[in-house]
Amino acid sequence: MHLFYLREAARSFRQHRGLAYTAIFSLTAALILSGLLLLLTHNAKATLDLMGDRREMVIYLRDDVTPGHRDQLMGRLSDLYGTVTYVSKEQAWDEFSRQVGDPSLLEAVDDNPLPASIRLKLKPELLDHVRMEETARQVAQFPEVEDVRYGAEWVRRLDDLGASLTRGSWAVGVVVALAIVFIVYNTIRLTVLARRPQVEIMSRLGATDGFIAAPFVIEAVFEAALAAGIALAVLFGLQQALAARVIGVVFLPTTWVIGFVGAAIGLGCLASALALSRVLRAVGP
Amino acid sequence: MITFDRVSRRFGERMALDAVSWHMDEGDCVVFHGHSGAGKTTLLRLITHEIQPTTGTVAVGTFRSGRLSRTHRALLRRTLGIIYEDFRLLNDRTVFENVALAVRIAGRFAEDEVVPRVMYGLEEVGLQLKQHSYPAELSAGEKQRCAIARAIVNRPAVILADEPTGALEKRSQDDVLGLLRRIHEEGAALLLVTTRAEVAAAFSGARVLLLEDGKLVDQSGRPLFRVETGASPQAAEPAAGGF
Repeated sequence: MHLFYLREAARSFRQHRGLAYTAIFSLTAALILSGLLLLLTHNAKATLDLMGDRREMVIYLRDDVTPGHRDQLMGRLSDLYGTVTYVSKEQAWDEFSRQVGDPSLLEAVDDNPLPASIRLKLKPELLDHVRMEETARQVAQFPEVEDVRYGAEWVRRLDDLGASLTRGSWAVGVVVALAIVFIVYNTIRLTVLARRPQVEIMSRLGATDGFIAAPFVIEAVFEAALAAGIALAVLFGLQQALAARVIGVVFLPTTWVIGFVGAAIGLGCLASALALSRVLRAVGP
Repeated sequence: MITFDRVSRRFGERMALDAVSWHMDEGDCVVFHGHSGAGKTTLLRLITHEIQPTTGTVAVGTFRSGRLSRTHRALLRRTLGIIYEDFRLLNDRTVFENVALAVRIAGRFAEDEVVPRVMYGLEEVGLQLKQHSYPAELSAGEKQRCAIARAIVNRPAVILADEPTGALEKRSQDDVLGLLRRIHEEGAALLLVTTRAEVAAAFSGARVLLLEDGKLVDQSGRPLFRVETGASPQAAEPAAGGF
């Protein structure tokens, strides 16, 4: 019986090639648009994650902190917030000297004015700007701490950018999903109406809605899957072309690719079921 | 098997069927004879639940008129074999595929049973050599035989034939009527509607009911039943003939 449905779907596809090709073309265009945004979002997120991994908090210590208190503080920070690295006054000066480069510029400085500090590489769950701000506030409460710096404004902007990208992806995703439903809905509706005499005859012979609908749903799934495949091939070609010019441009992960095809097929199923539930009532007496 | 209990069907101002009551049992042969517009096709559409009665009750087996779900309506139609005047064949399918479609719709047979069952149906109507032909390649008589094969292939308990010889010339008409007679003699109940008196006459043992302007009438044109308001069909008094 399943083979029969497949043959019926193939027959419908052959007989209404024009409609089917139009649907595949429109679906491919919509899926390329959404795929482009996914590609952009994925790459932007990867970049943001990379930058997020480099986010550090610098905790400046008071000059009078004893080594014992310092070690205690580092233990607490390590337990609560992430990986800590101690940078002594001397190390800080050496680092600064290297950055300045010309030793003559530093000759006027008699004493090392730089404080000792602890560099805190935060746990991944603390890397967004709200939690970083809260962490900075908490760390500043320790009596050994003189000041806490982490580039709050830069972190906030980076997070805002990430959130905007996510919102944009969702918005375009919803629009594309609606477009897919609209395209498949109307294609199936037109296909059923074009085969109205056949549907009427089948209905009069006692065919259930499921029997009549199955080939149309298979056709919609096939069209959606084919469109998703073409869209992914186009996106892959685009990614390869970009990767040759821009370092670090990557293609969508496998899970995203599966989700992309699955979503296209799912929407195709949904739209065809919606169309059939309406049109079969109108056509089948 | 099929019972009409004071069934009326109105289309706007026109009364297509007017308080019609009749009944047929398994194995019966009933011929409805009447002129065009007498209500014959309305009667068939009521049996197949394409339309609902305005008043009265239509019962087909255990199915009664009213709000049948689409699933039950499909099930009801699968218990009937229907032959249409205009054949209702799918033009993009071969004779074999048209008949096989009915077998698949019935859903009672495995895929490997479809071919022998279809071939049996085609042999019954003498179309086995035309199994690969498309309807456009068939004569009117062959198309009707194909429609009959489709109607009988699932061995339904009752076959409904709407003007089965309407589009046929004399020789094809005789062939088709002979075929329907044989199918009935093999045990199927047959309900036939026709405008042609010779078709009605071809079924010697059949009960012939005359339909005129939506009413069952006797040979003189008087209503077959005087149905009184509130009375059941059993209580109705036969004017002449009847069942």
